[in-house]
Amino acid sequence: MIHADDGILSQEQRLMRDSCRSFVDDVVTPFIRSNWQREWDMSPGERLPGSILEGAEAIGVRTLGVPEEFGGIDLERETEVRTFALIAEEIARGDSGLADKLVQNWKVSIVIRQFAASHLQEKWFPRLLKDPKFLLAHCLTEPRGASDRWLPYNVPEASMHTKAVLDGDHWVINGRKQFISNGFDASLYVVYANTDPSVGMLQGTSSFLVPRETRGLTVTKCNETMGCRFMNNGELVFEDCRIPADHLLVKSTALASAGQYFRAGKIIQAAKNLGVGVACFERTADYVQNYVQGGRILIKHQAVALRLADMATRIEAVRSLVERASKAVDEAHPDADILCNMAKVYASEEIMKVATHALELHGGNGAMLEFGIEKLFRDAAIFLHMDATVDVSRMKIIKTMFPATAGKYAGPEN
Amino acid sequence: MKIVVAVKRVADPNVKVRALADSSGVDLANVKMTMNPFDEIAVEEAVRLKEAGRADEVVVVSIGSEKSAETLRTALAMGADRGILIRTEAVVEPLAVAKLLKAVAEAERPDIIITGKQAIDDDANQTGQMLSALLGWGQGTFASKLVVGDKAIEVTREIDGGLQTVSLQLPALVTADLRLNEPRYASLPNIMKAKKKPIDERTPADYGASIEPRLIVVRVHEPANRKAGIKVGSVGELVERLHREAGVL
Repeated sequence: MIHADDGILSQEQRLMRDSCRSFVDDVVTPFIRSNWQREWDMSPGERLPGSILEGAEAIGVRTLGVPEEFGGIDLERETEVRTFALIAEEIARGDSGLADKLVQNWKVSIVIRQFAASHLQEKWFPRLLKDPKFLLAHCLTEPRGASDRWLPYNVPEASMHTKAVLDGDHWVINGRKQFISNGFDASLYVVYANTDPSVGMLQGTSSFLVPRETRGLTVTKCNETMGCRFMNNGELVFEDCRIPADHLLVKSTALASAGQYFRAGKIIQAAKNLGVGVACFERTADYVQNYVQGGRILIKHQAVALRLADMATRIEAVRSLVERASKAVDEAHPDADILCNMAKVYASEEIMKVATHALELHGGNGAMLEFGIEKLFRDAAIFLHMDATVDVSRMKIIKTMFPATAGKYAGPEN
Repeated sequence: MKIVVAVKRVADPNVKVRALADSSGVDLANVKMTMNPFDEIAVEEAVRLKEAGRADEVVVVSIGSEKSAETLRTALAMGADRGILIRTEAVVEPLAVAKLLKAVAEAERPDIIITGKQAIDDDANQTGQMLSALLGWGQGTFASKLVVGDKAIEVTREIDGGLQTVSLQLPALVTADLRLNEPRYASLPNIMKAKKKPIDERTPADYGASIEPRLIVVRVHEPANRKAGIKVGSVGELVERLHREAGVL
């Protein structure tokens, strides 16, 4: 692909990207290509071999976001989100489920480093660093609604069903969370729950740190998904789950406070998507320069060449927006919220078109499981629904652009 | 014990390079560059010796443009302690490289110098041998195993007939072959830490060594395209063609 961005990246960013690319080319891609059946292993814990996570560990991509004082990485904070995007793209180019598994750790680490009491950071960050299988998860979505009910429905009746009540020196959580990335196999969860039923979500939601082994927390199932299958999406039930009072992260305004998580999350989401697009392009470019039809390699057929050009153009357009949006997030620009949602929604729709072309240009082979193109197609498709659907992302763009009208409660106009 | 490792920035071996239109060399504009793979093995070996407590300091040296600093930075991220960049835009031939490295060795006084057995761009396979001759040190080339003692090292060499083990008195020179080790990836945390490690920038003049070219590149051209295969009608024809045309039977 084109790498005209080299000049604007720092030396460290380029070295980190190259290191990840080598890891993906040497380890991840060969594994994915020769083990296509593993995705469909119905024991979720067995799908991804430990050696892949250990490899990810060796290059240090599992624990980005952990502060250096706890043994983490000292990324330049001014360009941290841009760096996240670069790394996420490279890993997703190998496998977007693996990328999903890893980036969740970065995103949740940001929340923990910002809001958890220092003794909890001292307890959990070293554990995260020590165990290659240690994963983090962020529990927001519930069976009865997710980001679709945020705004413009900030009213008590739209609040989360999961509730937390203070009982002496413990919070007691009751409720259910679903579609949780890493939910099936995480060791530590950040959980959002309603702590004030009299107000809307934005004022009455608190966040908590909940270790997996806490009594009252049950991981009930692994959701089988169409794509990103090496990330085990889970469902959790909280039944009188008691956690110490100091495990409260943010009281009442947890959703508004987690902007740093959400904004970085959208960029990472778009960047993973981009990685899938690049994989689609690379595989297809290789195929059409080798496969002969009608006596000529495919790329010499104009209908093929035009589609390939279209794929490359869409990828570069997505890349440009991801770069612009990540810069805005890094610089805490007032338009960062708008741009990161734009990048996320645009990436998901454009890369879906790229993946569709990849499938078309592979002809019958495109539909074969062992060829790996349909996997990229599925991995691209799931982005339309992950971390907010495209429609909800669009709603977020507009409510942020027009807070006084689109951002207000959708009741009768005054 | 101090180890000096020489590293070269070369075109990525996975990239398909092209000859320049005027046949004067290889077109390196916009080509992805990387550390010479054999030099990566040399760095890895030095870092392992340091991790095993056999070496105290690993110094990496590169000769080239400012971009070679990136190659040094990769070596520092793999675990080397500091770097020396001898900056020049000129093409530096193996003998000139050996002379510069000799000057570095005289200044640094290492116990072992490790280089890759050859760089994958020009495949010269000369620098290590020339350097050892200039220094008057013993050499263990094409190393597939290294055992470091207090005053000597044992180097297992890959030679045509199999393996040969030589014992060298220190200081000594080793060139790394493919099977010496499997180099690590520079991890992301170590890439960030390497930013703080020092790289000393010098010029060839600082070492008083002449890098005037002594070789003339006459022509660089690409290998001939492989001809399309043919279908033969029978086993008899196959044998006949293998005998008559391919000359293999």
